[in-house]
Amino acid sequence: MTWLTWRQHRVQLYLAAALLAAFAVVIVISGRQITAQFHDAAATCAAGQGCRHLGGLFMGSHVVGFLVIATLGAPLLVGMFWGAPLLAAELDTGTIRFAWMQSVTRGRWLAIKVGWLMLAAAVWGGAISALVAWWYSPANNLAPEQFNPGRFDLAGIVPVAYALFAMALGITAGALLRRTLPAMAVTFAGFVAVRVAIVLWLRPHYTSAVTTTYNVIRGYTPPGSYWQLAQGVHGPGGKLVVVGDNEPVLGGIPLSQLPSSCARAGNTVPASCQQALAGFRGFITYQPADRYWAFQGIETGIFVLLAAILLTVTALVLLRRDV
Amino acid sequence: MTAAVIQTRGLSKRYRRVSALSDCTITVPEARISALIGPNGAGKTTLLRLLAGLARPTAGEMAVLGGTPRQDPAFLAGIGFLAQEISLYKRFTAQTHIAIGAHLNHRWDAVSVRDRLRSLNIPLDRPAGSLSGGQRAQLALALTLAKRPRLLLLDEPVAALDPLARRNFLAQLAEAVAVGGLTVVLSSHLLADLERVADHLILLAASRVQLCGDIDAMLAEHQVLVGPRKPTTAIERTHTVVQAIRADRQTTLLIRGNAPVLDPAWESAEVGLEEMVLAYMSQESMGQDAAPANSHLTTVGEEK
Repeated sequence: MTWLTWRQHRVQLYLAAALLAAFAVVIVISGRQITAQFHDAAATCAAGQGCRHLGGLFMGSHVVGFLVIATLGAPLLVGMFWGAPLLAAELDTGTIRFAWMQSVTRGRWLAIKVGWLMLAAAVWGGAISALVAWWYSPANNLAPEQFNPGRFDLAGIVPVAYALFAMALGITAGALLRRTLPAMAVTFAGFVAVRVAIVLWLRPHYTSAVTTTYNVIRGYTPPGSYWQLAQGVHGPGGKLVVVGDNEPVLGGIPLSQLPSSCARAGNTVPASCQQALAGFRGFITYQPADRYWAFQGIETGIFVLLAAILLTVTALVLLRRDV
Repeated sequence: MTAAVIQTRGLSKRYRRVSALSDCTITVPEARISALIGPNGAGKTTLLRLLAGLARPTAGEMAVLGGTPRQDPAFLAGIGFLAQEISLYKRFTAQTHIAIGAHLNHRWDAVSVRDRLRSLNIPLDRPAGSLSGGQRAQLALALTLAKRPRLLLLDEPVAALDPLARRNFLAQLAEAVAVGGLTVVLSSHLLADLERVADHLILLAASRVQLCGDIDAMLAEHQVLVGPRKPTTAIERTHTVVQAIRADRQTTLLIRGNAPVLDPAWESAEVGLEEMVLAYMSQESMGQDAAPANSHLTTVGEEK
């Protein structure tokens, strides 16, 4: 069975390996450039000649930066082009009957085929994640922001879970729809919908967020690469301060709500203005930086569980199906 | 009597509200070539798929090669099934298909497939999708035979073959059965072909079994009577009238029953396979009311 799986999918594997190799070349070249630029800029900065450009260096070229962000869609490639046709093509063309009339049980046939392809998906997700993490490392050293959605989804162990989920979704869609193209469409829509829904509505609540209130004059920034969920200012009555577009502010409060002395505030805030500001409290709601790996673990668990449920459904449906 | 390779009782298969096979009770003894005959949509394919374990019955029991069709390598190794729509991997060559079979079967006769294909001038190194319909059928057949199954279930295997290839194939089949250890059930519309090789018959019509048994015994039990136009009540008392054709001046009857017909007005003749089969098929097409009356007709010849 392993031989048959290899024989049926080796072209896809070669293709994926080639894509991965090309991506690795781009990432390594770009990554080395970024590191060199970083060292030059750091030396210039240390010599006291302008440190302003440090932050702008780390996306490399725009094309590579875009490519890195685009790896958010990498699981879709395996889900749509490996997962969806895996069973759909066999069911659609009837070759499943040829396979199932050999002296190998349906269960064994399915387990070995799916097992190898899930493994390939995990390797695919892991390799891309590792390359992206390496590429980001200079930026992470200077200004870690790994917890933000976008960055969180590109590194660590979650890309492996996304790839497993996409593959399982494709396989299940193929088994149920029995045709490759509709299965590919369902895989695409399903993957995007589940990922977006979890980022927007589930991930912020894996553990209850921390809210810290602070003096608006001093301000407050949580330590490390926290994930900010909300930030704002409450007025004297406890009401949320609303800031209009392009409105001039001081400490997050529109100048129109403050005494005129505040408008002249520079490095020192006049006493009358300080008195008015004392009535306002800033707040920030966030997930602290040290929860990063807990969140990676929970999210990985969710997607691996979803993949397991999908594959169980596939097995239950397929092993009982008349062909 | 040799052991039955196939034995079913009340086997039924429904697809939602459509009945594909109902109350099918058949017995196929070992080392026979059984012809599965019936009009389109009679349930032939459904029966073969149930026997192969590719589909599961909604009711009834069956024993195939001594057990219920199941997901077990030993059972699967004993069954060779060839579907009507040839299902081969279009992009794979014959050579690759042979290799797949070798990896998926403990018992696999790759040499016989290659010899067979070479003798038929079918290229081993071209994708199956680029072969002609007949060549594909030959390849699929060769692959099915390479398992060396004990029971071969063939759904319209010769339909795509030219007359010469058909004759060769049937001859090889007969030879394999003669050597021993093989039982064959094959469905076909080509009665003349079947008559040459089959010694057992299963006749399905309207998803029910009309006849099942040894062909010679069955033919001996039927006779054609030709006589004047007159009531047939006397004959119906001793025989079952399968078909009656009443013309202006004469009546032709196909009757079943071993008792001799004594009335000299009737001229008796032996019946041929095709004649008998067609009589049962046309009886079915005449209407639903014929079906219940026939339910006792199953397993002719095997009863004694």
